[in-house]
Amino acid sequence: MGMIQSDVLTISGAILLIATFGVIARRGFMDWLNAYRLQSVVLAAVTAIIGYVTGIWEIYIAAGLTLVIKSLVIPKVLTHVTKSLEIESKTDFNPYLSLRTSIIVSAFLVTMSYFLSQQIPFKSDPVVNVFLPVSMAQFFLGLFALVNRRTALSQVVGLLVIENGLFLFTLVLTHGVSLIIEVGIFADILVGIVISSILLFRMSRTFDSLDVDRLENLRDD
Amino acid sequence: MPSFLEIVLGIIQALVLMALSPLMTGIMRKTKAKTQKRMGASIFQPYYDMVKLMRKDEVVSDQSSWIFRCTPWVNFAAIGTAAFFIPVFLSYSPFGLVGDLLLVVGLFGLGRFFTMLAGLDTSSTFGGVGSSREMMVSTLLEPALFLAIFVVALTYGGTNLSTLVEGASNSSLLPHPQLIFAAIALFVVILGETGRLPFGNHATHLELTMMHEAMVLEYSGKSLALIDWSQSIKQIILFSLIVNIFTPWGISSSVSATLLGLGLVIFVVKISVFAIFVAFLESSIAKWRLFRIPDLITVAIASSLVGLALYYL
Repeated sequence: MGMIQSDVLTISGAILLIATFGVIARRGFMDWLNAYRLQSVVLAAVTAIIGYVTGIWEIYIAAGLTLVIKSLVIPKVLTHVTKSLEIESKTDFNPYLSLRTSIIVSAFLVTMSYFLSQQIPFKSDPVVNVFLPVSMAQFFLGLFALVNRRTALSQVVGLLVIENGLFLFTLVLTHGVSLIIEVGIFADILVGIVISSILLFRMSRTFDSLDVDRLENLRDD
Repeated sequence: MPSFLEIVLGIIQALVLMALSPLMTGIMRKTKAKTQKRMGASIFQPYYDMVKLMRKDEVVSDQSSWIFRCTPWVNFAAIGTAAFFIPVFLSYSPFGLVGDLLLVVGLFGLGRFFTMLAGLDTSSTFGGVGSSREMMVSTLLEPALFLAIFVVALTYGGTNLSTLVEGASNSSLLPHPQLIFAAIALFVVILGETGRLPFGNHATHLELTMMHEAMVLEYSGKSLALIDWSQSIKQIILFSLIVNIFTPWGISSSVSATLLGLGLVIFVVKISVFAIFVAFLESSIAKWRLFRIPDLITVAIASSLVGLALYYL
């Protein structure tokens, strides 16, 4: 492990963290989707770097799959869903916490994930040291985005960020689970997105809104 | 004790900053004009403006007090003094013995305080609007600036600018990921401190977009020239801080003629590239609503917080 290699690892971890922040610090669904796309591209690059450092060729395939599915296919499907929904989803922005509060909260979440990952006794491995806190931060930020937003469409983005965090988490700890499982997970995400878009269609037809609070209302018909 | 030669070099550094500052304003205006498919004025136009304003008479409201008249001089003195602490092409400033980065920020604060008073002093509505906006933004910018400074100072072990720039030129940026976050925060703060978009707009005199311009609207003649000049110097000081702390390549660490000449050329190139980058960024975004500006400053604060976390953990 050369000096330059660990430098590259550190910097790519920091860039991934910045890209994750993009999902929090933007407003409007299309901005979030673009931020997610950017984050997935960075994640694919990070995956390739991990593949290079550990020297396992299967990780490169996972990186390619990440690039194709998460940064091309999923945003395309979600954009398609937004277009075909009649509701104006772009202007529908009223999270529970305001933008500036949520930015500060996410800074504390990132700090917390760095603190937590230090409490877990792992063998000292540069890949784990750098990316374990980043993956936990992704998980927490995704969770925060999920609970902070009202519309179902925006919550899907939060779910996807959580999934990115979990992907990185497993990748870092196991240095690549077997390829079959990776492919299975990717297929799962795709199916999940398709199912959630069907649910979104149903929701918008029944309630004329994607606000999840409306689901609690009693209806007579 | 710094030698006589070093003191002379330190004075030359400050004079270079003062002399180059209108040029940077000119380059930024030219870049913005080019992106809008206009010819734009020559990059030396700010110098011509200044010479012309120097020769003009001044109009001072008879309702104003001594504050209005002394503000341009206080402002210029504060910002001009700050210029002496900035390493430009030599990686240390011999005047660093008497002041550090916090003093530079304090001097900026002094200049800004008097400018805000002068905006209120003439009791014109525009001046009041400008001062109140400036107060709101500056109270938010200062904690962000200090947090970013602390991240850098912790990394290199001191708030003295010479320590910072020497530390930066001796070590690579890569092992310190917290510096990336500090750079983001400092960049946002610099946009705010210099009143660039999305905080304010230099190019217009519309009520909605003015911040700094509204405060100094009543000035004319020599005072206006001084105020414009000190604003440019403040801008170039902040630009050279970010350029020399985060990309210290080519800065000379010893007193030798060739290295110093090379350092000066590289400095001018780096800072021009940075100015052009900021101008491009300005042309690609719109002015934000005043009450959305805290959102952007919060990004800077959060970024510095993450930088601090990365340093300690």
